[in-house]
Amino acid sequence: MAEVVLSHVMKSYGSLYAVNDVSFTVEHGEFVALVGPSGCGKTTTLNLIAGLIPMSGGDIAIGDRIVNDLDPKDRDIAMVFQNYALYPNKTVYKNLAFPLQMRKLPAAEIDLKVRKAAEVLDMVHLLERKPRELSGGQQQRVALGRALVRDPAVFLMDEPLSNLDAKLRVQMRSELKRFHHNLNATVVYVTHDQLEAVTMADKMAVMNGGVLQQYDSPANVFANPVNTFVASFIGSPAMSLIPLEAAGNALISPEGWELPLSAMNARKAAASTTNKVILGARHSTLTLHKAPSPGSVPGKVYTVEPTGDVTFAQIFINGALVNISLDPTVALAPDEHVWVEFDQERLHLFDAETTMALAAS
Amino acid sequence: MTVISATAIRPKVKRKIDWWRWAGRGFLTFLLLFTVLPMAWMILTSVKSQFAAMQYPPQWWPSEPTLNNYFKLLDPRGRIGQDFLRYFWNSFYVSVLTTILGVVVAVPAAYAFSRFRFPGRNFMFFAVLVRNMFPAVVFLMPLFLLMRWMGLVNTHGSLILTYLTFGLPLSIWLLKGFYDNIPIQLEQAARIDGATRFQAFIYIVMPLSTPGIIATSIFSFIGAWNEYVYAYTFLSRDSQMTLPVGIQRFFTEFATDWPGLMAATFLMSVPVVVMFLVLQKYFVRALTEGAVKH
Ligand SMILES: Nc1ncnc2c1ncn2[C@@H]1O[C@H](COP(=O)(O)OP(=O)(O)OP(=O)(O)O)[C@@H](O)[C@H]1O
Ligand SMILES: [Mg+2]
Repeated sequence: MAEVVLSHVMKSYGSLYAVNDVSFTVEHGEFVALVGPSGCGKTTTLNLIAGLIPMSGGDIAIGDRIVNDLDPKDRDIAMVFQNYALYPNKTVYKNLAFPLQMRKLPAAEIDLKVRKAAEVLDMVHLLERKPRELSGGQQQRVALGRALVRDPAVFLMDEPLSNLDAKLRVQMRSELKRFHHNLNATVVYVTHDQLEAVTMADKMAVMNGGVLQQYDSPANVFANPVNTFVASFIGSPAMSLIPLEAAGNALISPEGWELPLSAMNARKAAASTTNKVILGARHSTLTLHKAPSPGSVPGKVYTVEPTGDVTFAQIFINGALVNISLDPTVALAPDEHVWVEFDQERLHLFDAETTMALAAS
Repeated sequence: MTVISATAIRPKVKRKIDWWRWAGRGFLTFLLLFTVLPMAWMILTSVKSQFAAMQYPPQWWPSEPTLNNYFKLLDPRGRIGQDFLRYFWNSFYVSVLTTILGVVVAVPAAYAFSRFRFPGRNFMFFAVLVRNMFPAVVFLMPLFLLMRWMGLVNTHGSLILTYLTFGLPLSIWLLKGFYDNIPIQLEQAARIDGATRFQAFIYIVMPLSTPGIIATSIFSFIGAWNEYVYAYTFLSRDSQMTLPVGIQRFFTEFATDWPGLMAATFLMSVPVVVMFLVLQKYFVRALTEGAVKH
């Protein structure tokens, strides 16, 4: 077991920076989820940690060694690939045995370890099959097994659950979580699926365009997004963002209304580089009124989506679509005029110029 | 799959005769006869006596089959046997060396074309393919001059080099297709599992490309085994001749010995046929798998 430290890691393809000055530390035994939109550099980051592609700059340390120039085989890592990458011409048994054979373990020990891993993953009956004779879920377990047989210092996983159907994904998610718990392993886990990240990870690294945006616990990332990208990327439905102007103790809309701010929020708004700010609010922090009420702003209903437990509505406010969750008993019609009240404790303010979250000075 | 669904869906009414299907069968039968009959005739003639072979009207089925012609060719004490066996050995030796050297060069070349981006990569691959666009005889004179300059005329080395020149483009192209279809993640997984780059290639990539290697081996072996023009041009000493040229000498020397000639021709086709029969499984896989993604 070991910690993983990335400092100022760069990877360029020609003029494109697939990974741009990324630094973060994965503590010993921590489960870190790497999230971000497609093409943001998640796989590239993982491949850099694994040593599968050369870095353009920066340092990576695993344990207390700088591994920049080490071969993948010498980094004491295991990796689960997005498409599993099982050796198609080998049986499951031989797939699991391969990492051990490469490390020249005695045959008896290899057999013992393979059988133990197979037992843990409940696939003893599959040992003699070839990968193509397995279901997606079974293949996924073999890929996991191949990583587990030789208890490496660090596990790297690239969207290991993305090819599974929804039900299996949920099941494997909890199994993975148990593994992490039992092995106390250091894990870097790439995923598209926020729910996976939030449910499994100790920390989340949110990337965009090769740049690390925020690195914190899922709860903190959710509660205090550092910029508008993280704010709108994490959470479903997304946080709504409304561009407004700050003026003293209130935010003014070109539509003519104004939203009074609490003293704390007014100080935040005042810290903006220009007077333009972006107001952010999550759907659950908003209250809907059918008539004007103090501290609320006017809007028009755009869509209403009942989901059973809760109804989601989108409201046009100042040209932006705002998500709000409602009790299913509330009746709303498209184009109806409504008033939305913001929770001063839980609203977010961003600098429209820099897109960064504003802090009270 | 299509076969199963077709029979499953077919209604149980009596259908009209499918003329297209019968026409297809007829055509295939014709093609089959077209290829099989000459071979059958070759074998039948080879077990006839000289006298029976020359009869008119022809004797379709040998009345007194004999293996004498084969004994003569394979008898190392007779002059004919000595010549034939030497030609056979020369051909075998040249073809096997061509095949082995071809694989040794084509495998790393194809792998490099498939996996690495290096300056001049596209140009070199194009150059390799362009070779295939010219008929082989076009290179006869240039290659002859080249071989003479290198002092290789009248050696088997000149043939092996020439056959490599002609065999490699196809081998490299075919093998590259194979490597292109092997996901890079397999090698990456192997390297993480403790293999060096070279070990990943040997343990993971090579076994997956075995059908391709076997197919290219067959191609280069047959190419070298059957080649006539270059062997005829580059070699002059009788003791060096390969089978195609050697058999042609039989033909001129023993112009009337049809059964002997047919027996020699049959013996010449044996290695190729045996190779196909033994390796057929891989060969079919190579032609189907290489083309489509696994
Ligand atoms: N070998 C390469 N050559 C050139 N560009 C590359 C190469 N590999 C990746 N890239 C580029 O680097 C960027 C990051 O790619 P990467 O595969 O890391 O994305 P990702 O975050 O894993 O995306 P996804 O979620 O779709 O898997 C992309 O813009 C991609 O096009
Ligand atoms: Mg990826």
